[in-house]
Amino acid sequence: MTIFLLRRLGQSLVALFGVMTLVFFIQRLTGDPTYLLVPETATQADIEAMRHALGLDRALVVQYVDFLWDTLRFDFGKSFIQNVPVTTIIASRLPYTLQLAGGALLVAIAIGLPVGLLLALARKQRWTNILMGVVLAAQSMPTFWSGILMILLFGVGLGWLPPSGSGSFAHLIMPSIALGLLSMATYARITRSSVLDELSKDYIRSAKARGVKTGRLVTRHLLRNSAIPVISITALEISQLLAGAVIVETVFAWPGLGLLTVQSVVSRDFVVVQGVVLLGALVTIMMNFLADILYSFVDPRIRLDGVSG
Amino acid sequence: MTFSTFIKAAALATVVFLPANAALAKDDLVVNLVNEPATLDPHMQWNPDSYYVYRNIFDNLVTRDDAGEIVPQVAESWKQLSDTELELDIREGITFHDGEALTADDVVYSVKRITDPEFSSPQLGQFNSIIDAKKIDEDTVVLTTKSPYPALLAQLVKLSIVPEHVASELGKEGFNEAPVGSGPYKFAGWDRGVQVKLTRNDAYWGEQGAFKTVTFKSVPDASTRVANLRAGTADLVVSLDSDLAMQLEGSTEAQVLSAPTERVGFMGMNTLVAPLDDPEIRRAAAMAIDREGIVEGILRGGETVASQMATSAHFGFVDSAEPIPFDLEKAREIVAAKGDAAKVPMKFATSPVYDQRIVQAIQQMLNEAGFNVEISMTDMATYLKAAQNPDQMARPQLSFGRWSCACQDVDGVQYPLLHSSSNWSRVNDPELDALLETGRTTLDKEARLAAYAKVQKIVADNTYIMPLYQAAALYGASNGLEWQPTANESLFLNRMSWKD
Repeated sequence: MTIFLLRRLGQSLVALFGVMTLVFFIQRLTGDPTYLLVPETATQADIEAMRHALGLDRALVVQYVDFLWDTLRFDFGKSFIQNVPVTTIIASRLPYTLQLAGGALLVAIAIGLPVGLLLALARKQRWTNILMGVVLAAQSMPTFWSGILMILLFGVGLGWLPPSGSGSFAHLIMPSIALGLLSMATYARITRSSVLDELSKDYIRSAKARGVKTGRLVTRHLLRNSAIPVISITALEISQLLAGAVIVETVFAWPGLGLLTVQSVVSRDFVVVQGVVLLGALVTIMMNFLADILYSFVDPRIRLDGVSG
Repeated sequence: MTFSTFIKAAALATVVFLPANAALAKDDLVVNLVNEPATLDPHMQWNPDSYYVYRNIFDNLVTRDDAGEIVPQVAESWKQLSDTELELDIREGITFHDGEALTADDVVYSVKRITDPEFSSPQLGQFNSIIDAKKIDEDTVVLTTKSPYPALLAQLVKLSIVPEHVASELGKEGFNEAPVGSGPYKFAGWDRGVQVKLTRNDAYWGEQGAFKTVTFKSVPDASTRVANLRAGTADLVVSLDSDLAMQLEGSTEAQVLSAPTERVGFMGMNTLVAPLDDPEIRRAAAMAIDREGIVEGILRGGETVASQMATSAHFGFVDSAEPIPFDLEKAREIVAAKGDAAKVPMKFATSPVYDQRIVQAIQQMLNEAGFNVEISMTDMATYLKAAQNPDQMARPQLSFGRWSCACQDVDGVQYPLLHSSSNWSRVNDPELDALLETGRTTLDKEARLAAYAKVQKIVADNTYIMPLYQAAALYGASNGLEWQPTANESLFLNRMSWKD
């Protein structure tokens, strides 16, 4: 276990360093924010002065070393545009991202798991084809479209829910559904194939022969043994949901991290992009790590200091 | 059924469920902007979403009335002491939101703050002709400019007065988080990424606002802004396109408000490199563009064809100027006669920020006349860097822009676009330079107007730039809101009210 933890920590640090280096250089290769920060009538001297004020006139290597040193000291810098510490900006957006990710995951799991199970158990019934079609449709609908339709129907037409924005539970419902439906389809399909896989195994057949009831068979044997792929997917989904859902956030004016990231990339607000990417990398690494640990609980055959790593 | 008809059908189907929203006067006005303000320190940013909000928190030295005339605000009156000195009489009885009086010291501090290179205000370029600000007595301040600068008052329309005792104590970052001004609305809170709240300043010296509180929310998607308006969760929304405006016009729940702005859409040409270094080829390019078609077929939002790089809202607008006529046949003839010289490949530099429908239409129109135009799309930062390349010859051969100096003076548009020393100019004509300099440094209005009339003639005769249209701003508002948008694209809350 200790060896596993140490090795994982080492790998994580290397990954974080790689992500930071990449995001630092790629951003600087793609453009200079100075031009976006001065009015159209600025002279070349005004532009130079602004570049100096932002510290972008220093050698790239110097900027890079400063960036690494500041990050080590947990100083993530100030937004070029808002002139506010990037930690303040991210902290203001993070709760909204967590709410939306939680809501979407709930929708996805609450619908996706039972649907997947049903599709597998009743695979010989005709109607499962229709259900599978519905699942595929949910996955194929672009969210900018399903989002605006929901807004027009439930927000404008029926007036049941606020059309956009944040601040109450009612605000969270539509964006959670729009975002959750995408992941729901993934859950349904993974659960279905994973359960089907287990159903064909000998222990299920012998359990059936022993007369174990279907309910007990599903809850005690089938679900537990089909859980590994579902846990992997959940780790990935959480990382993705936390990185932000740009389109859903844009359509519903939801103030999450995805929208912030896109706006910051467009306006070349390097410092904010660096902060968000670093957070995203950290979350992904932690989620994968958690999933690894969970595997060994669900399936004792997986030992952390043995085969996995 | 195509995908788009399906969307329209689905959207129409939902209209059946629409409730009728009665316009009720409420205490809180909700405004939907595109993004949240970048900052509320009026000296630190210059983008519309910041400007819409902070111009209600702060008073400026002077302002423009609804007719576009410069009228007193913090400065009650002014007089030119010499060619380079402007004396301002500061209004008595203005208090900041913390109760302190606004004094001549605050005016001097504000001018010095924004013009201090160390402060690095993004707006420095608009005010750096001011080299000194001096308090003469409690009510008088004198501003000194580098050289005679006739557009000074037009620029001072944008200079907000901040309280010295607060701004100097809180510093840049602190003042941005808790701005204190003297305007008709007070800062009440900023929920980052979500909304900015303002409350009415009941002690305001000027016109009182009609709404007790105002909430500015950021709603990036235009369809969502319109949905909010129709659902009654927003009272005023900015930046509509003509399709959404038409959709709103057909509804009973809200109204469309529009105004011609001081923004001019244009096609820029690099007159220093082939093939556009030949005036006849430039003329042919200009004649190939069907601007009526662009205005009526694509934009459809109240835009009008422009005859020059100015609008009637600008000082220096030439009434008698006529637009270059659209004549595809003639353009084709010239291109054919020029042969290979006109067929040199041209790059049309652009970025997604610009309306690509127009860029593509222009490309098609030019190619129909026989030119060889290719669109080169980059992100905005890269585009701006190329457009302002220190090497004039390397600036884009073709580009599309929409320009406003927010100063309603042709100097703010024509000097940066046409004077050879400017970052953007792709023209090098000493006679034109001299006239633009006269316009920029002469206080005599008649002499300026005469200079700009000549500028207009030279630019038109040589087809140095191709003015396309005067842009319009489209807003959506609830039926109960009374407001007349103006050319300078401001949202002054104390000029809005609920209808009786």
